Amino acid sequence: MNINCNDRERIFLDGTPEEWTALKEHAAACSECEHEVEAWKSLSVAASELHQEWDSPALWPRIEQALQQQSAAAKSPWWGRLLGNWNLTSLQWQTAAAALVLVAVTASAIWFIVRPPGSKIPADQALFNDHTVREVEKAEAAYEQAIDKLDAQAGPQLENAATPLMASYREKLQVLDSAIADLKSQAGMNPGNGHLRRQLLAMYQEKQDTLEEVLEAKQ
Amino acid sequence: MGTMGLALPWEARISEEQCHKGRTVDPTETTSRFSPAAANVSREDSALAAACRAGDLRAFERLYLLHASRMKSIARNLLGTATDAEDAVQDTFLKIQRSIASFRGQSSFATWSFRILINTCYDARRSRMRKKEVAQDEPEENSPRPEPRAAVSHPSLRLALERALSQLTRHQRDVFLLYEVEGFRHSEIAAVLDISETASKNTLFQAKRNLRQMLEAPRSSAAEAR
Repeated sequence: MNINCNDRERIFLDGTPEEWTALKEHAAACSECEHEVEAWKSLSVAASELHQEWDSPALWPRIEQALQQQSAAAKSPWWGRLLGNWNLTSLQWQTAAAALVLVAVTASAIWFIVRPPGSKIPADQALFNDHTVREVEKAEAAYEQAIDKLDAQAGPQLENAATPLMASYREKLQVLDSAIADLKSQAGMNPGNGHLRRQLLAMYQEKQDTLEEVLEAKQ
Repeated sequence: MGTMGLALPWEARISEEQCHKGRTVDPTETTSRFSPAAANVSREDSALAAACRAGDLRAFERLYLLHASRMKSIARNLLGTATDAEDAVQDTFLKIQRSIASFRGQSSFATWSFRILINTCYDARRSRMRKKEVAQDEPEENSPRPEPRAAVSHPSLRLALERALSQLTRHQRDVFLLYEVEGFRHSEIAAVLDISETASKNTLFQAKRNLRQMLEAPRSSAAEAR
C-alpha cells in the first residue's frame, strides 16, 4: 500500500489497520510523519491515564437506600410525601403543627395573589395561555434564583446539622425538593395547567420560607 | 461499526513500552474494549431494563456492578473530585429509577444510563457554577481543591491534558473522554450522545487536533527558549 504525507490526516481520522501499518512504515523514513504519529499516540497514552478506579464500599448501600426511599415515595401522592415522609417523630409536635399552618396560609396567600382580583376562575380558564405561561415561567425562574441564593447560604448550616431542629429542616427541604421536582415534571408535560403552577409556586414559597427560617436560626 | 479503523488500534495507539504498564495500555484490550453492546452485556441488557422497570433493586445492583466503575471515572473527569463523582452516580441511579418507564429500548439500557450520567454531570457543573457565583465573596480557602490522582507514567502530560481538556467544547470533551479515556466505541458514543458515528469520529479528530495544538504550543516555545 502506497502511503504518503498527504494521507496522514485522513488515516488519523478514519484509517484502516492496514493503512495504519503503512503509515508507520512510511513514518520510519519520514521524520515529519514520525513526529506526528508519535504525538498522536502520546495523546492516547496520556488520555488512558485519566481513567481512574477506586473502591467505594459505601456507595452502593447509599444508592440502594436512596432508591428504596424514592420507590416508597413514588407510591404515595406528593402531599402524602410532604406529610408522611417528614419525620415527625424527630420534631416537636408544635413545630409540625406550625409548619402545616404555615403551608396552608402560604398556599392561600399565593392563591389570592395569583388569582385575578375580584373574579372567579371559570372552568374554561383553568389552562393558561402562552403569554401567561411565559409570565409564570419567568416568575418561577426568579423564585428559583432567589432560592438558589438562599440555598447556598444555608447549605453549610444544613450539611452540618448540629441540632434536631436543623436536621428536621433538612428533611423538610428534601421532601419539598422532591415535591417540586414532581410538580415541575408534571408542569413540563402540561405547561398550561394553572392548578399545577399554583401548587409549584406554593412549594417554592414554602422552600423559601424554610430556608429563611434556617438562616434566622443560624443568626 | 467496530473498533478497528475508527482511530489508532490499541497496538498502534500505545507504544510498546507502555504496553507493559497498567490497565489502559494492555494490547489485549483490543478485544475487551468496553462495549455495552458486547455479547455478554447485551444478553442481559433488556432483561436488566425490564427488571429495573419492575422495581427490582437487585437489577439496579447488577447495573451498578456492571457499570459503576466507568460511571465514576467519567463523572470524576467531568466534575473533578471523587465525592462529586459518587454523588453524580447516585443521582444517575435515582433518575434511572424515576424515568425507567420512559425507556423504550431505542438504545441499549447501558447506553441510556450513561447518557443520563453525562447529563447529570453537566447539571451538577451548572449548579456548582451558580453556587460559586453566589459565594464568590467568600474566602478562597473554602473552594474545593482538585484531588490528587493515582500515580501515572506521564504526570506532566496528564496534567497538561486535563487543563487542555477543559478548553475543548463540551461535545469534543465528551467524545474524547468516552473514546480515549473510557474505551467506548464510536457506535456507542453515537448512541450515548445522540449523534452519528461519523460525527463522533470527526469530533474526536477535531478534539485531538485541538489538544495537540494546545499541548504542542508550550513545548515549541520551550524549545525556542533553549
